[in-house]
Amino acid sequence: MPPSIHPVDLIGALRHKHLTPAIVFLTSRRACDDAMQAFERSHTTLPPARQDAIASVFEQLVQQYPSIAEHPLMPVVQRVGVAAHHAGHLPSWKIAIEELMRQGCLDAVFATTTLAAGVDFPARTVVVTQSSVRKSRDFTDLTVGEIQQLAGRAGRRGKDLVGFAVITPSPYIDLSVLTKGLTGQPEPIDSQFVISYPMVLNLLKAHPLDQIQAILARSFAQFQLNRRAETLESKLDQLHVQMEPYGPRVCTDWITQWQIFDHARKQKAHRVQVKRREPPELAARLHFLTPGRVVGLPKGRGIVLRQYRSKGQRSPTITVLRPGGAVTESPADAVTQVFDRTFDVAEAPVYPWVTPASLEDLTRQASDLPVRMPALPILVQKEDEEGEIVQTLTDEFPCPTCPSRSACQKDHAVALRIRQDVHRHTKAIQALRTGLWHRFQNRAEVLQQFGYLAPTCHLTSEGEWARLIRIDHSLLITELIRADAFSGIEPQILAGIMATLSHDDDRPGAFPRISPGLASLLRQVRQLAESLAPHEDPPLLRADVAALVERWIGDPTLTWIGLCRTTTMAEGDIYRLLARTLEYLSQIHQLRNTHPGLADTAGKAIKNLRRGVLEELP
Amino acid sequence: MTTDELEKLLAEQPVSRLHRLARGRIHQHFRLGKRRLIEALLRHSSENRAGLESDLHALTQESPQPPPPPRRKTTPESAAPRPRQGAKPPTNQVEAEPAEPAVDLISFLEGIGVPEPKPFVPDAWQEDALTSLTTTDVIVSVPTGSGKTYVAIEATRRAIEAERTVIYTSPLKALSNTKFTEFSRLFGSDRVGILTGDRQDNPQAPLLIMTTEILRNLLYDAAGGEIDVRLDTLGLVIMDESQYIADPERGVVWEETIIFCPTQAKLLLLSASIGNPQDIADWLTSIRPTPCHLIQHHRRSVPLRAGYLHPNGKLTPLFRSVGIPHGGGTPLHPEAKRLFAQYEEETLRPNR
Repeated sequence: MPPSIHPVDLIGALRHKHLTPAIVFLTSRRACDDAMQAFERSHTTLPPARQDAIASVFEQLVQQYPSIAEHPLMPVVQRVGVAAHHAGHLPSWKIAIEELMRQGCLDAVFATTTLAAGVDFPARTVVVTQSSVRKSRDFTDLTVGEIQQLAGRAGRRGKDLVGFAVITPSPYIDLSVLTKGLTGQPEPIDSQFVISYPMVLNLLKAHPLDQIQAILARSFAQFQLNRRAETLESKLDQLHVQMEPYGPRVCTDWITQWQIFDHARKQKAHRVQVKRREPPELAARLHFLTPGRVVGLPKGRGIVLRQYRSKGQRSPTITVLRPGGAVTESPADAVTQVFDRTFDVAEAPVYPWVTPASLEDLTRQASDLPVRMPALPILVQKEDEEGEIVQTLTDEFPCPTCPSRSACQKDHAVALRIRQDVHRHTKAIQALRTGLWHRFQNRAEVLQQFGYLAPTCHLTSEGEWARLIRIDHSLLITELIRADAFSGIEPQILAGIMATLSHDDDRPGAFPRISPGLASLLRQVRQLAESLAPHEDPPLLRADVAALVERWIGDPTLTWIGLCRTTTMAEGDIYRLLARTLEYLSQIHQLRNTHPGLADTAGKAIKNLRRGVLEELP
Repeated sequence: MTTDELEKLLAEQPVSRLHRLARGRIHQHFRLGKRRLIEALLRHSSENRAGLESDLHALTQESPQPPPPPRRKTTPESAAPRPRQGAKPPTNQVEAEPAEPAVDLISFLEGIGVPEPKPFVPDAWQEDALTSLTTTDVIVSVPTGSGKTYVAIEATRRAIEAERTVIYTSPLKALSNTKFTEFSRLFGSDRVGILTGDRQDNPQAPLLIMTTEILRNLLYDAAGGEIDVRLDTLGLVIMDESQYIADPERGVVWEETIIFCPTQAKLLLLSASIGNPQDIADWLTSIRPTPCHLIQHHRRSVPLRAGYLHPNGKLTPLFRSVGIPHGGGTPLHPEAKRLFAQYEEETLRPNR
């Protein structure tokens, strides 16, 4: 049995049960196109009357959107009565498919789940073949809200008595996700408020600084944060009640007092246990007394062959090779100097602890040692707070003789935990209440640093125009403008840069080459983006997609088909790339008053950009 | 299947079957006794769990003959004789069947058809939304396709009649275009304008369609001192698909727009079903001059049913009831469950 049903059989089964028209949600654009190809190869043919109906709708649409006139899929759609609809298609083609579906000319549409959001596109049946969607890199389960959006397309008001959501399995489907999605409650939504640079500039343009906090407090983000803060506050109240029996005793801050005392006691106990530890000078030195190390001893120098603990005292001892070739034992604390020189040593498990060859080699080295050698400075760690502990325990510290000593000892653990909880909650509440405002202040500081804001938080002349750039990567764009990166450049180069800034999709593909001028400017952009990285996430900055925009604008005779032939990028993606570039360019175009030359270049680019397919839709 | 379950299942099998299972998996398995054989199999299962499970499944299905499953001895309540359920996987046998019978395919598919055309009568909630909108902001959170657009159109008509400007925002340009065409047909193309990032068609029309970003920019410009007459006469702002407020990248724009929306204008937020519309209503109430009215229901105007289509073309209902039940732990239709178990077994088997 195949891992999933063949698309032709699927539609056949639905037709048989009168469940068409249907929307079939597939995992990828590729799957949608494959399904269409399967239909193209099949012998499915609609009755002539229905084919004519599709053709007549198409004719009407072609008048409005000339770009679909020669769409290669049109004859196929007309013959088989199904279509694919995904983001790889041109908007005009998608509109055509939607219109055909609305008029009931099609039996099925193969779509990706992106369709679920936002397009008014109902059918009698919705077929779901997946329980997860690809988001950025990996697959995530569909949320209840998303599943209900998908299923919600089933059942057309006024055209159907009932709608159907049909699940058909494909590999990696999780039925429980889907059934839960169909029967469950949609998830609550959360605010996604972020404070961007243009937002700071625009807020400060319209409102003085002292009003900003109040404005931020009106956001849904703060509303939700307040809700969370309120729950924490009620918890905090409970904690305060729990804390009541542990109020002031003989001393007010008995918890801290006891903590110090307890700590000191434990430290002392610990210290007693390891009393036989070496003095710190020796302990620090031991790490360096490894085989091959040159050391200074009271009588001459030597090369360490091994380090061990003596059998009786267990005090550290070393075996040393003397310059004459003698192998002697010496206590480690007899070492006077540790030199910054080691030799390679082949260790052996028995006397003389190195292999004979190595010993011979070392003997030669030992006699050839230079007279002066740099000694290693050995950092000695001070003995930790011993004096303090002793003082705590010997001085007249109140706890040992305090009348409430036993009570303190008993309650300390609980009281300390509650007190820590109280601190944690108080901090968390404070963070929730003032987090947004702090983020705003951080952003404002960066803007001051770059000179868009005066120290008084008023907009500088730079800030006045920078606030008009209200798109992603606004800081990078305004900094580029200030660095004169765009002065005197061709419209197509400017558009190319805007294309790389706006494109955030990492789908690979083959593209034409970019011009050397654009390439060198892109290097500059990339450098600046990297230097701004601490303040603003750098854009993807794909050079390859810029080439498409550069060609489209640089060559007014280039047709849409011609442009599409130069790349493997899907039509719909090229369209979106150009449309987003247009959006960025029109933001630059707004800077007419302050940067007339640049705005003019942007205007030219916009004029060249908006032709053919891009002129069909407002 | 958890390891414990697998161990239990293995323990229920006769030794001969375990040896067949161990063939090719465990070296010199014939030397091991049952207990050690199970241990070895469990140890081995870490390498290819799915393969082991499906082979075990196949073996149990292939010859259900050898001694009655010891499960009956261990669980007293299943000691009563129980009719054999053909080739069903054993999982189906242990589960207690609910009392009411599952729906059959015929009644599941009953009632497909086109409703009689009847004059459109607005639902009570739609009327409710429209009346509330004269005094307060309104949030409508209802399932897809239950008539939010009617509320938008009717509210727009009333506002235009009262000579107020209406702004309609949508998250996507494509949706804006669709609405532009639709509203132009309804109100006449001279009364509808569209504003996009780079183009303005009929920008002084009483009904303006735009993306939410454009409205946000308009509001910022107005707050920054640029006078825009359209905002003075603004009577209604309709925000379609307002569940976009939770969009990681663009959600902030919805918040900004709502925060800076002029107070004299009423807000109409249209949203798909979301989990916490009351939160949004409470938020609006806290920042807008009038308390926000929330309209929420989960009833679909066209009832929805759920089915399961097996790759061999067999269609069954997905749930035991005709419609889609609410709440978790809903039992699946036994047939759908059986077919899906079969599907999983087929796809999970190695060397397919």
